[in-house]
This record gives sequence, C-alpha cells and structure tokens, in this order.
Amino acid sequence: MNNTFKTNRFAMVLKWLGPFIGLILVVAIFSLMPEVQDRFLRIYNLKSVATQSVIVALGALGMTLIIISGGIDLSAASNIALSSVIVAFAINAGIHPLAAVLLGIMAGGLVGLINGALITSLRLVPFIVTLGMLGIARGVAKWMAGNQKIDTPLTWVNELMAKSPQGLLLAPGVWLMIGLAFLMAALLRYTVFGKHIFAIGSNEATARLCGIRIGRTKLLIYTIGGLFCGLSGVMQFSRLTVGDPTVAVGLELDIIAAVVIGGGSLSGGMGSILGSMIGVFIMAFLRNGSTMMGWPNYIQEIIIGAIIVFAVALDRIRHK
Amino acid sequence: MKKSTNRLLAVLLVMGAFQVGCGTGAGPQKRSSDESIQIAVIPKGTTHEFWKAIHAGAVKAAGEMGVEIIWKGPQKEDDRSQQITVVEDFVSRGVDGIVLAPLDDRALMVPVRDATREGIPVVIIDSDLQGKGYISFVATDNYMGGVMAARAMAVELPDGGRIFLVRYQEGSASTTKREAGFLDTITAEFPKISLIVQDLFAGATTETAFQLGENLLNRFPDVEGIFCPNESTTFGMLRALQEAGRAGQVAFIGFDSSPKLVAGLSNGEIHGLVLQNPVKIGYLGVKQMVLHLRGQPVESRVDTGVYLATPENMNEPLIQSLLSPELADILDK
Repeated sequence: MNNTFKTNRFAMVLKWLGPFIGLILVVAIFSLMPEVQDRFLRIYNLKSVATQSVIVALGALGMTLIIISGGIDLSAASNIALSSVIVAFAINAGIHPLAAVLLGIMAGGLVGLINGALITSLRLVPFIVTLGMLGIARGVAKWMAGNQKIDTPLTWVNELMAKSPQGLLLAPGVWLMIGLAFLMAALLRYTVFGKHIFAIGSNEATARLCGIRIGRTKLLIYTIGGLFCGLSGVMQFSRLTVGDPTVAVGLELDIIAAVVIGGGSLSGGMGSILGSMIGVFIMAFLRNGSTMMGWPNYIQEIIIGAIIVFAVALDRIRHK
Repeated sequence: MKKSTNRLLAVLLVMGAFQVGCGTGAGPQKRSSDESIQIAVIPKGTTHEFWKAIHAGAVKAAGEMGVEIIWKGPQKEDDRSQQITVVEDFVSRGVDGIVLAPLDDRALMVPVRDATREGIPVVIIDSDLQGKGYISFVATDNYMGGVMAARAMAVELPDGGRIFLVRYQEGSASTTKREAGFLDTITAEFPKISLIVQDLFAGATTETAFQLGENLLNRFPDVEGIFCPNESTTFGMLRALQEAGRAGQVAFIGFDSSPKLVAGLSNGEIHGLVLQNPVKIGYLGVKQMVLHLRGQPVESRVDTGVYLATPENMNEPLIQSLLSPELADILDK
C-alpha cells in the first residue's frame, strides 16, 4: 500500500517536472557553452528572452484552451498580424492610443468569435474553419494596410515591449503575460467553465449528455483565443513600431508547438497553462542560445523539430 | 527515478557554480587584444547570392584585420520581427560590434538604439536606417543605380516605348531609392518612354516576382521595356519572360547579379544589369567597425559604387569580377 502511494507520488512529481526538465536542460546546455556562459544567464539576456516570448506566449494562452477542448486555431498568427495592423491604422487615424489598443484586441476577439460561430453553427471541423480564417485574416490585414507596412508616430504603446522601462524590472508586456498566465491557470483549474473545457475535449458526446452547453462554451473558448491573439498583435505592433501585415507568418505553428511541448494533446482533454508557458520558454531559450552561439538557422530548426517529437513521445510514455 | 533526480541536481549545481565563477571573471568589459574582437554581421537573409557576396567580403576583412565575425541572419528570410530578435541576442551576448543590414528603416531603430546604450557600436550596411544611432553607413548609392538603369533603358529604346517598373517591397529603403532614381530620370529626361506599370510590388521571393511577371505580361503583351530593382525580382521576371517566349524581345534592365542572370546577359535576354559591389560592402562594413573599435575616426557615409554591365562590356575584368565574384575561394578559407 505504502509502496503504491510512493510510486503515485513519484509519477505526480515526474508529471510536474517533465516539461521543467526540458527547460532546465536547454538552459543548462547553453550555460555550459564556453562561448556564451558568462552572458547567457545575465539579467539583461533573461529580460531579452522574456520580451521575445511575450508574443508567442499570449497566443499560447488562448491556444491552450482551444487545444484542451479538442480544437485547433490555425488563424492565430494571421489574427496577430491583423490586430497589429489595426492598431497602427487606428493610431494614424488620430484615435487615442488606448482606444487603438482596445480596438486591436477587440478585432482579435471578433475573429475568434467568427471562428467559434462557424465551427458550432456549420458543424465544421476547427482545422478547416481556422485554415480558411488564416487566409482571410491575413488578406484583410494586407488590404487594410494597402499592401504596405504602416508607419506610425511613436506613442506609449511602443513602450509596452521596451526592455528597460522606468520603475519596472521587466517590460509591461512581460508582466501582463505573467498575470494573464496566472489568471488563465486559475480559470482552467477552479471554474466551472474550465471543467467544461476539459470535459468537451475528453469526450464531447458525454459532455453533451452531462448537460454542458457545447456550442456556447466553444464560442467562448474561441473568442478568448481570439482576444489573446489581439493582445499579442498589440505587442507585435509595440515591438515593431510599425504595423506590418506580413509579420508572424507561420507563427501559429510555434504557438501550437509550445502547447504540445507543454503536454497539450491534439486529441483534446489534456494540457496546462504552466506546460504551455514552459514550451514557449524552451523554444525562446533555444533560439536565443543558438543565435548567441552564432549557429546557423537550420540547426535551430532541426533541434526545435526534434524537441517537438521527443516531447510528445515522452508524454505518451508518461501517460501509459 | 532517483538517478534522474540526482542528475538533475548535478546539472543545477554545475549551473550554479558557473554563475558564481563568472561573477568575478569575464564581465561586460571589452576584451583587450584584437584577436578576440568579435563582430556580429547580420544580413537581411542568407539565401540570396547578394548576401553570400557580402558574407565573403566580411570574411575577407575579418581575415585581414585579425578579428572574428559571426554571420547570422533572421530565421525566416525578410522577417522584421526575427531580425530584431537576432540583434537583441547579439547585444545580450556582448559582441564588440554589430554590422547590420536593416530589413526596415524604422523597425530596427529601437534595437540599434538599445545596442548603442549597451555600449555596442553599430555600422549599418546596404540599407539606411532612420535616426542617427549608428557610427557609419556603408552602401551603394542606390538612387544613382536607378538613374543608370533609366539611362540604359533609354539606350535600348531610343524611340521611346511602353515600359514596366516592377517594384520590390515597401519599406525596403535601398530598392525604394533605386525605383525613385529610375522613375525621376525617366520622367525628367526621356519623355518618349511611358510607364504603364509603376506601382506594383513583386514581394520578397523569386516565386512572387515570377507570378507578378506572368500576370503583367498577360495583361500588357505589348510591353517594350522592363526594369527590376533587385536580384529576386529580376530573376522572377526573367523566368516569366522566358515562359512567355518574350525573353530577348523586351528591353530588360535588372539589378544585381547571380549565375542565372549572367547567363541571361550573355545570351541577350537581359540588356543591362546595374551592379553593386556587395563584396566591398561587406568588406568595408567590417573594416569601418574595426577601425572604430581601434579608436580611429571613420566616415559617416561610405559609397561603394555602382556599375552597369551590358552584353558588350561583360567580359572586361572589373565587370567580370562584379558579375561573378570568386566567393567560394574566400568563404572556404
């Protein structure tokens, strides 16, 4: 009896540590490289990595919900580009920057809402709906921007992602990311809505029989996912200082990879905010470390690809 | 289970040890001897021939001056956001200097400012940057390149004609200047030449330029001249002309060089290529940086020259060396 209790606890500990081990390994490897060891763990570099992670991390917060519910959002990166263009457009139209930021977030939410509405009302698979939205949102972004990047005057919005703001240790965007990560983790763990997301992802038919209103819940999930993309778009604009409709092409795959590395299952029912955040940081540290080492880009791409396969395989073994 | 926990602990301990170790050792201070000067050279991308030539020039300068260069482009070609990340990571690493070809004259301003604040000087090459946060700008006079292209076009079309100006990408300072030089000269000096297309952008890749070329040739089959402002648009348009069976019949002036474009020039499908000296840009970019680091004054603007290659002069030694620089020799060393 005592023994099984012990193994269970070990399994629990391992489950929690699993993603951490990957992150610690990546950090440890670069910390041991003689070329960069004195630089890699400096506060300045950690700040850089944190700031570079914000855009993917915000997208991953929403994507975690969607993937746990058994869905997927391929339009995330296009949505980020669209929101960033809308913020730039609005600022140039003379709207107050705060209103422009809210408009960008709302636009993201609207794209998510449309995704959710199409998925529930037309009973289409999320893959197809969001694949369509990937093209639509990107196209609208280019259209709004007149196929160009939009230059805007510098405002406080561009300080959201500034590395060394006054009085704060980290960029405001990083604090926002941390706060929202806690909020979403609590939402998943302690609210009825959170339980419903897991239930739908584990077995939609059973969830329906249990009286969960599937349509309404999904609509909310995709809208939240969209709102996060919108916020991520604001951060993208803040970082670039221009609204660029061609930004973040392919970033949806980074976002999905982060969730998957962090233990999210593409067949639904599994995943955690903490895991996804660790997934984001594994990839960010890998990029950062490889660049500091001066490794060519193809090495990074191969390593990250291998890690995705390895992480999912490890996850399968853990859950057997 | 226990083993893996132990190993984890060991790794953590080692990490801790290193952190303590470096607290007293190598800090952010500059290295004293020249052998250990490290310069990051950041291109806009790594696959175009043009950037390989810049790389070769940078390697050559590094060899001559006895410094080390780290060559690293954004992970995705032409991705502004990722180029910012690369600059930040090299600032974090604490290289002695950064030589940067900015993808955007505006978006790279903040990271360059941050680098300067951290005490890392920046030399800008190839494309200009807004603001004055850098020590020197080494590039082709791109406007002059456009002017030369316009005059070459007029030589090919002495009686005037209908032509395309195919633009590259919005926000790319170097090509925008070439387009402006071309446009201004055509309208001011050659009123008989009329532009039927002048506001379309070919985009970043050969493929997008190829498609635009095909569509334009379908729409305007009677075009008599075409100017393209960089290598990828020139090659994409050349492919479109070849597919349409019009190559050689349309006066075609391009910009930059690659083996395929040289072949086009020698078989009469291309009538002129405006050439920069990318090896020299890479070479002088690194050299200016090293001179600055050694405390010598550097010029704030260095012009690396433009040249026109035509089927007639393409075998002259100078043009030959610009058309087909011996990159492999330099890069293998």
